[in-house]
Parts: sequence; structure tokens; C-alpha cells
Amino acid sequence: MRMTQVSAPVTTPDTEKEQKPDAKEGLDRGYLVICWNDPVNFMDYVTHVFQVVFGWPRARAERHMLQVHQTGKSLLVRETFEKAEHYVHQLQGYSLHATMEREE
Amino acid sequence: MRFAGGIKQDGVETLLSFEISAREEALLLEVLRMYPVLEDSHHRIRREGGEAGSDEQRVLEEAMAQLRESHQQKLEELLGAPERIFKDGAGRRRMVLTGQQLEWLLQVLNDIRVGSWVRLGCPDPEQTRDVKAGDANARDVAAMHISGGFQAVLLEAVQ
Repeated sequence: MRMTQVSAPVTTPDTEKEQKPDAKEGLDRGYLVICWNDPVNFMDYVTHVFQVVFGWPRARAERHMLQVHQTGKSLLVRETFEKAEHYVHQLQGYSLHATMEREE
Repeated sequence: MRFAGGIKQDGVETLLSFEISAREEALLLEVLRMYPVLEDSHHRIRREGGEAGSDEQRVLEEAMAQLRESHQQKLEELLGAPERIFKDGAGRRRMVLTGQQLEWLLQVLNDIRVGSWVRLGCPDPEQTRDVKAGDANARDVAAMHISGGFQAVLLEAVQ
């Protein structure tokens, strides 16, 4: 990703807290939505897309954006097949490099 | 082009106003006419694997085709609307967008940016800045940087 400095602190995304299985749904939330780094998408753009698609506050979106930038990828959510597929469609609609992977 | 502020309607900020020169408008419309640039094969549901014919991959490609069609329709409406730019009381040229319009414009501009980058062979974008006008890839380089420039202004508005 490209561009500008971001003032948010670098912290590890709290993916564990976000992705506990939902017992109420009783569904298989074993599908991971992952965003991969590329050198062309602007950092501010990626942050904005995460905010829009997931409804996250800016700080959380920035944490994930920075993780993509610094480590090459970020696990965004762990979801059911349908929801994961929906999110990947949304992210790819913004031309982000996002994929859906089955949790091993 | 520069972000000139939000416009409130009924106390709620619903419109985003931009100052735009005639030259910038011409440039924006020229680059928007390039849409779509990103090819279907760019969209992959999985990172690895040869699931080109899988249901998941097909559903993704159908979704992207529908989105592209919707964007093209909105673009045609935008390009065919002379009132999209007007002069304010001070004589400055203005373009006003709703939040929804800004979102799809961001998607369209990024399709052009990423699609041009893919056509160039996915280089480091910074390494492409010294391209010359006569170069075979000059159009793609220009499209990548110009669409990125407009994106940056739109992003300023949503921040």
C-alpha cells in the first residue's frame, strides 16, 4: 500500500476477541477473510474501505491496514461461508486484494 | 480539485463540495471514460488453487460484473449531466457529491488505478513517475497517477 503516514499506534489487531464462535447461530464460522498487501492501494483508501465494509471505527480499521502493510496480510474476520463470501465481494468491489480461506 | 467542505441539509451533513477547475474537470472525465480497466481475471476468491471453474469463483465474477454494470450506468448519468459542475456565488466552479456518489466514484477510480497498474505489470508505482509522453505505456501510467490524485482528494473529504 502507498502513501502518507498514519498517526495511529501500531498494535496487534484484536482478531481473537472479535471472532469467537457464535453459539446462537450454530453455524460454521471457519471461513477467514484475509486482505493481502499490494503496492498500489493507498493506505488511507484501505482504511476507509475497512470502515465502510465492516463498520469499524477508524482506529481499528487503521490497525488492520497497518498489519496488511507491515506483515503482508491481515485476518479481518472469521465468519460463516455466506458472510465471508459477502465481505470478499464487498472488498473486491473496492479492488482490494481480499480472499476467503477455509480455516485449517 | 480540492475539498471545500460539507453541506448540511436539515442540520445533517449530507453533501460534499469540491472546487474544481475546468482543466481538472476535463481530466477527471477523461480518466473516468476509461472505466472499466480491471479485468475479470483479476478477481480471485481464493489466494491459491485452481478453482477457476468453481461455484464460488463464478459467483464472485457475476457479482463483479453486476457491480461494473451498475457503475457504468451511474457514470453515464454523471457524464451526461451538465449540471454536475456549477459556479457558486463567488464564481468558483463546484462539484457536489452525495456520500453514495463519492463511494462509487472511489470504487471506479480505484478500478482504473489498479487496472492500469496491472496492465503495466504491477510495478512499484513510484518507479513509473519518469515515464515520457511518447512511451507505449504512458497512458496507463498517467491513468494510474491521475486517478490516484482524484482519489486522494475524495478521501480527504471522508476523513
